[in-house]
Amino acid sequence: MVDAPSPSAGPAQLLDTAAGRRIVFVVGSGRSGTSTLSGSLQALGMHVPQPEVDADETNPKGFGEPQWVVDFHDELLRRANVAVSDARPSAWFEAGKLNNVEPVRRRLQEWMEQQFVEGGPELVVKDPRLAWFMGLWRGAALRCDAQPGYVTMLRPVTEVVGSKQRYYDARFGEVNRTAAWVNMMLHCERATRGFDRAFVRYHDLLDDWTVPVFGLGQRFDLDAVKSAAANDIRKVHAYIDPSLRRVRLTWDDLDVPRRLREIAQETWEALDQLPDDGGDTPEVRTTLDQLREAYAEMYEEAAAISQSTALASRREGFGEGVRSTQKRGVERVPHWVRALVPGFLRRGARRAVGRERG
Amino acid sequence: MSPVRGADIPCLEQDPAYDVHWPWRDGPLSQGLTCVFRVKNEARNLPWVIPPMLEAVQHVVLVDNLSDDGTPDVAREAAASIGAADRLEVHSYPHRVSRAGTEHLATRHDSVHSLTHFYNWSFSHVRTAYSMKWDGDMVLTTEGVGVLRDLSWQLHDSGAIVAIPRHPLSIESESVAWIDLGFRFLEPWIYPMGPEFTFVKAFEWEVREFPETSQRIIAPEGLCVELKWLDQDEFSHWSAMDFDESRAPRKRREWQVYSALMEGRGEEVPGLHRIEAPPGVHVIDYVTDTWLPHAERPLVRRGRRIES
Repeated sequence: MVDAPSPSAGPAQLLDTAAGRRIVFVVGSGRSGTSTLSGSLQALGMHVPQPEVDADETNPKGFGEPQWVVDFHDELLRRANVAVSDARPSAWFEAGKLNNVEPVRRRLQEWMEQQFVEGGPELVVKDPRLAWFMGLWRGAALRCDAQPGYVTMLRPVTEVVGSKQRYYDARFGEVNRTAAWVNMMLHCERATRGFDRAFVRYHDLLDDWTVPVFGLGQRFDLDAVKSAAANDIRKVHAYIDPSLRRVRLTWDDLDVPRRLREIAQETWEALDQLPDDGGDTPEVRTTLDQLREAYAEMYEEAAAISQSTALASRREGFGEGVRSTQKRGVERVPHWVRALVPGFLRRGARRAVGRERG
Repeated sequence: MSPVRGADIPCLEQDPAYDVHWPWRDGPLSQGLTCVFRVKNEARNLPWVIPPMLEAVQHVVLVDNLSDDGTPDVAREAAASIGAADRLEVHSYPHRVSRAGTEHLATRHDSVHSLTHFYNWSFSHVRTAYSMKWDGDMVLTTEGVGVLRDLSWQLHDSGAIVAIPRHPLSIESESVAWIDLGFRFLEPWIYPMGPEFTFVKAFEWEVREFPETSQRIIAPEGLCVELKWLDQDEFSHWSAMDFDESRAPRKRREWQVYSALMEGRGEEVPGLHRIEAPPGVHVIDYVTDTWLPHAERPLVRRGRRIES
């Protein structure tokens, strides 16, 4: 497409920014201790943008999730037709496309800038949906002069799936949850590769949080951690409750097909090496690349096998859509015609068909 | 396929070393994105161009076409400077290639002198599922590295093609440059590898084919600048200066900007911005690391697009 040349507007303006900013993104699968880590960094003085999502029985200590971030991600996931927990490898492409939408990039940048101005130079952002949009967040951090760091929380897949089965929507079974975990964790690792990142085991955080959190402070140069006062430390001790690890399951407790189980277990074993000193090696990353390809291949096969089910669901959804737009019985009669019928007759007719108004 | 040499595109001159053999015939391609540069005398630009590209993509193929300024060695040094020498592959294409324009039109598509054959031969060295063409004077910004790095694994087998806007940056000195935000120069750069995505001959130059059903993604602005040194003749590779407004509007705009800057009339050109870097920082680094990420969006006003 070619548009005729015409004069442009005045000079582009440079935005004012401040230096020395840090932003820590806590990513990984839900039910892996992401809330615990976010809450700990908050207790030490990092700013979690307000207001936060309210605590509930699934997370009695709170989620450490900014409500704006959750709403923003929900909107983007709807636009991309991707679920929070989505097992499709292609979902990364669908969500990633929004990284190229400038108005979305600008909206996030403006929100982030406001958080730095109001909350100080060190932010922590956590949401299980965040992994889908890491490119957007990275771009916003760059434009806000903030140095991003990524912390991926690691918990054995069997415990994550068990915990989700216990606390979340029961529509998704163990198999789908296991597949979604593999998809999330393998691509989460891929998306943070080459950037400042750290991996923390949930168990290590519960056993002795001071070790992994001190490490994060050093790695990401977090003033809140490095200069934490005794009272801040006490707050984290009070916040972290080792009994949080309430779900302890093994593969014996889950009914998952052998091939998926093997990929999930190998994925966990490879990821489990990353938190160790010198563990983030090219060899481990090669293994994870191979697992990602194996998973995508398996998923494509499964999708091809179950295509009839997908097509039937689509037909059913289409039928429901058509039915919902069809007018029922009396609704086909124009309102002005119905209004000509005396009120007592209309009420009697409604009683007769069991559709009385309350 | 040639019954004699077994090539997918045998060259007219019958030199087997410059026949095209497509890599997908040898088996499935690996995941990832390879950037292909076809360059001639880009030694001055490559120290800015190569390192960010190697940060963004898995592999770089650089095809040198008769450079006499040490371009291949500069490319190798630039890759080695960031510890990525093993991800750079350098090839030589020792044939004179027709200039864009009338000379190209008069050259057969399968001649080693054709831009079309040069492109197909260059891309036959790609071993990943996605490839991108890139020019030896195009510098990724910091934001561009991040976006491309994500695309390099997210595209996977989507079949999508990606267009990336670029912003011409005319370098006046080490501390002063002019960026052209008067128009958005948009061209598809990233394509899947496969028989549906090869190069064919067009009137002035080559074009890359793709199925009409391909999803097209347009990357945001501010990811890439195209370097233009005011002390060099930027138009030497064209065979005629009679730019047809309808077929080469980009070149006409570039000529307008170049002429104005050479005559000291830069301030008079709408959409052209003078940028001065702080002391001790090269203006190219300043623009890609600081100025563009912080510049107000949209960089280019709507309706001022030039697409290839």
